[in-house]
Amino acid sequence: MTQHRVRRSSWGGLLFAALGLVLGAGVARAELPATAVSTGAPDQGNPRVEAALLTDVTQVKPGDSFRVGVRFRMDPGWHIYWKNPGESGLASEIVWDTPGTTVGELQWPLPITFRSPDGFITSYGYGEEVLLFAEARVSEQMTGSLQLSAASDILVCEQRCLPAQLMLTRNVPVGPETLKDSEFAPAFDAARASVPVTPESAGHVVSLALDTKPLTAGQPFTGTFTVTAPQGQPAPMVEKDFFIPERIKGIARVELSPVAGKPGTFKVEGTAAADVPAQEPRLAGVLRLGTAASGYRALTLDLALAPVVAAPPGTVAAAPVVKAPPVVVPPPSMGTAVASESSLSLGLVLLFAFLGGALLNLMPCVFPVLALKAYGFTRTVHAERGKVALHALAYAGGIIGSLLVLALVVLALRAGGSSVGWGFQFQEPLFVAAVAAVLVAFALNLFGVFTVGTDGTALVEKVDSSHGLARSAGEGVLAVVLATPCSAPLLGTAVGFALAAGPITVLATFFMLGLGLALPFCLLVLVPGLTKLLPKPGAWMERGKQLLGFALLGTTVWLVWVMGGLTGVDGMARLLAFLAVVGLGAWMYGLAQGAEGGRKVAGVVAVVAVVAVGGLFSLRFEETGPALRKASAVAEAQPWDDAAVTAALKAGQPVFVDFTADWCLTCKFNERTVLTREDVRTAFAQHKVAFFVADWTRRDERISAKLAEFGRAGVPMYLVVSPAAPDKPEVLPELLTPDTVIEAVRRAAERVADAT
Amino acid sequence: MKTFISAVALAVMMPVVAFAAETAQVGKPAPAFTLKDESGKEHSLAQYKGKIVVLEWTNSDCPFVQRHYTANTMQKTLAGFDAKKVVWLAVDSTASHTPDKVAAWKKEKGFTYPVLQDASGTVGKSYGAKTTPHMYVIDEQGVVRYAGAIDDDPRGNKKEGTTNYVKTAVDALLSGKPVPTSSSEPYGCSVKYKS
Repeated sequence: MTQHRVRRSSWGGLLFAALGLVLGAGVARAELPATAVSTGAPDQGNPRVEAALLTDVTQVKPGDSFRVGVRFRMDPGWHIYWKNPGESGLASEIVWDTPGTTVGELQWPLPITFRSPDGFITSYGYGEEVLLFAEARVSEQMTGSLQLSAASDILVCEQRCLPAQLMLTRNVPVGPETLKDSEFAPAFDAARASVPVTPESAGHVVSLALDTKPLTAGQPFTGTFTVTAPQGQPAPMVEKDFFIPERIKGIARVELSPVAGKPGTFKVEGTAAADVPAQEPRLAGVLRLGTAASGYRALTLDLALAPVVAAPPGTVAAAPVVKAPPVVVPPPSMGTAVASESSLSLGLVLLFAFLGGALLNLMPCVFPVLALKAYGFTRTVHAERGKVALHALAYAGGIIGSLLVLALVVLALRAGGSSVGWGFQFQEPLFVAAVAAVLVAFALNLFGVFTVGTDGTALVEKVDSSHGLARSAGEGVLAVVLATPCSAPLLGTAVGFALAAGPITVLATFFMLGLGLALPFCLLVLVPGLTKLLPKPGAWMERGKQLLGFALLGTTVWLVWVMGGLTGVDGMARLLAFLAVVGLGAWMYGLAQGAEGGRKVAGVVAVVAVVAVGGLFSLRFEETGPALRKASAVAEAQPWDDAAVTAALKAGQPVFVDFTADWCLTCKFNERTVLTREDVRTAFAQHKVAFFVADWTRRDERISAKLAEFGRAGVPMYLVVSPAAPDKPEVLPELLTPDTVIEAVRRAAERVADAT
Repeated sequence: MKTFISAVALAVMMPVVAFAAETAQVGKPAPAFTLKDESGKEHSLAQYKGKIVVLEWTNSDCPFVQRHYTANTMQKTLAGFDAKKVVWLAVDSTASHTPDKVAAWKKEKGFTYPVLQDASGTVGKSYGAKTTPHMYVIDEQGVVRYAGAIDDDPRGNKKEGTTNYVKTAVDALLSGKPVPTSSSEPYGCSVKYKS
C-alpha cells in the first residue's frame, strides 16, 4: 500500500515514507511479518486495498482470550462492504484457519451508507479504514506458537468494483503470560467501541407495533417503532441514514422514517417478499442514535415482525393491467383538427385566440414592453395630440404584422416537416441572442447613450412623426417577441388548434391573437377621457425612462439564463461577450451622432464593423454543451419518458407530467408559486405521485408530438394520469392554482381506489 | 431549537422516501419498454408476448459479469431452454457504454442474443435493476415471475450444487408449475447509471 501511494502522489508518498522512517525508529513494527500484510484489488497496477492480520497481544497464555482481526485500508474514495452490502456489492467475508484456537463471530463496526450519484442505489460499508475482528480463545494445551490464518474475500469499489482475495498468516508465541500489544490493542478497543450494542445493554427500551398482522407476501406493510432512552437522558435524535437494515429473509424492503415532533418514534414501511419464508421474519439492523454534534450510539435492532402468509390466489389477475399509451403520434396534418379538440368550432377558437391575446398583457413577459409603451404614450399624448390614434394603429400593426410573420414561419417550417409550437423560436440560441441584443440596445437608448429618430439635440424641433410611428410599431414587434415564451389561459388551446389546422385558420388565429394583445393599449387611446387620467409630463419622465431601461436589463438577465439552459455556461459567456460588444457599438453610435459629415459616416461604419466582427466571433453556440440545471424546480422530478410513465402507472402510482421549458415564464411562475408549495408537495407525497418533467427548452420531437396529441402547441401543459384510466389523462389549465393541482391528484388517486 | 431543526431536516428528507419509485415486482405486470440493441434493431417487451422473456442486466466491465461470461453461465442457461418459447435479452444500462463497445464485447465472447442499449437508464430504473448481473423472468402474459440473482453463488467459489434460479424459474413456468424461488438478493457491481 505504501508503495502504490508513493506512485500515486510523489509528494504525499515522500511524506508518508519519511513519517514511516521516523515512527519506525521509535515503535517496534517489526512484529508484523510480511505474511500478515497483503495488498489487493489491483487497478492499473496500483492496489486499492491493504489488509493486515492483527492481534491485540504479542504473546498469549494457554486458555486466555485475545482478539484477532483483519484491518483493511482503502485508497481514498474506495470502500468495502458491510455484512449486508445493500442493493449492490458483496459482503466482506473472512474465513479463519486457526488450529488450537477458537475464533468467535465476526464483529462489525458501525458502517456508513453509500449512494450512487443519482441516489438510486444504496449500499452499506466502510471507506478509509476498518478493523473487522473477533474474540479468540487459545486452548489450554497449546504450546509453542499459534498459527493464525485469515482468508478474506472482499469487493473493493469506487465507481468501478474490483474483487480481492487476500490470504494472511502469522504466528503468535504462546508463553507463561498474555502480553498486550501496545500498538494494536488501542485499535481493537476503538473498533470494539464502534460495534453496535443491544438496546438492553445500553439501557434503551424498544418496541414495535405493526398496523396489520400477519404480513402478506408481496404486499406492503406499515407500523410504528419506538425507542426510549434511559431515564434522565434526552430523547434520542437521529440524522439522515440513521437506519441500516440487515438482509431479512421474507422482507423485500423495510424503511424507518422519524415521526416529526416525536423524537424516538419512527414510522415503519416495508414490503414482504414474494416468497413466504418458513420462519417469522424479524426487524433486524442497526440504529444510529445521536447527531454529529452530540456523538453517536449504535444499537442493534432485532425484533419479531409477524408471520408472512401467501397472497390469496387471483391477486395477480387483479393487478392493474395498464394499457400502454400510444408511442407514435401521427404528425398534425393540414386541414384536420386534432381529435381531442375536434369539438371546437373555428369561431370559438378565434374567440379563444382573441381573449388569450388580451390576457397575455397580464403575463410577466409582456410587462416591460407595456410599461415602455405607457411611458411613450404619456409623452406623445401630450405632445402630439392629433397623432395618438395613429400611434395606437402603428403599435397594433407592429403586433399583428409580426404575428402574421410568425404564422408564416410556422407554416413554412410545417411544410418542411418540422413540428413547431408556440415559443419554439426560443429553442434557437441565435434568436435568444438577437432578442437579448435588442433589449440591451433598447436599454442603452433609454439611458441616453444614443438617440433614435432624431439627429442629436440640435434637431429636436424637427422630430419626424413617422419616426415616432416606426418606434410604436417596433414596440409592437417587441411585445410579440417577448410574449411568445409566455402562455396564457385559452391561448394554448387556440394556437394548438390552429397549428393543427389549415393555413387560413393559422393566419386567422394569429390575427385575432394580435388584436387581443393590442387591445388594452388601443382601448386606452380610443376611449375618450381615459387619456386625461395619465400623469402630466415633467422631469419624472427622464428618471422613469432610465428606470425602464433597468427593467429591460432585467429581462436580459432572464434571457442569459435561458441561454445557459440551451448551451451551457460557455454559451452564456459567449452571449455576455456579444452583449458587451453591442454595448460598445451603441456607445460608439452615440459618439458618431454628435459628429458631422464624413466623420459621422465613418463612425457608423465602425459601429457596424465592431458589432459584426464581435458577433462573428462570439455567436457560435453549440447545443451539445451541458445544460446548467433541470428545467423544473421540483426536486423529485424525473425526466419524462413514455416508458417510465407507463412503469409508474403499472406500479399503481398517479402520474403528474410537467411540460416546461427554461424560457417559459408561465411555467416558471407555476413551479415557484404552486408546484413547490408545501401543501402541494404533501398531496403529491400522500398519493405517491410520480412527477415527470418534459423539458422542452431544447428541441425535442417527442415532446412536440405529445403536446400536439393534446391539441397544444407549446408549454406549459400539465397532465394528471390515473393508473385506473391511463388512456384518459386530465389536462390542467395553463395557470395553476394549488387547489386545482391537489384536487386533480386526489381524483387520480381515488380512481385507483375505486378500481381496485 | 435543536428539535425544531431536526424536525425540519426530517420533513425535508421524508418526501424522498415517499417518492421512491415502485419498480418491477414479482407477480405484477412487467414495465413496458422499447429499446434498440447494439446493432440498432428495436425490441419491445410487447412484441415477445406469448413467450417467456429473461432479462439480464449486464455490464462487460463488471468483474461479476466477466466471471459469468468466462464460465458461459448465461449462454449455457439459455442453451438449456426451448428457443421457440424463451427469449433472452441482455440490457446494458451503463451510462458510458456505446453500441460499438457492446458489439465488440459480444464478438469477443461469441454470444448471439441482443444487448439492449439503455444508456439513459430509464428502463433499468423502471425495473429497479441495481446490480450486474440482475435477472428477471417474465412469463407469457407479461407478469414478472422471478427477480434477483442468476444463482446462489455470489463469490463463485461453490464447487458443486449451485442453484441457477433463472433456470429453475423458467423450467417451472414451462411445465406449468409455480416458481420455487421467485426472488433472491441480486449480487454484483452496482449498475453505473447516468446521474
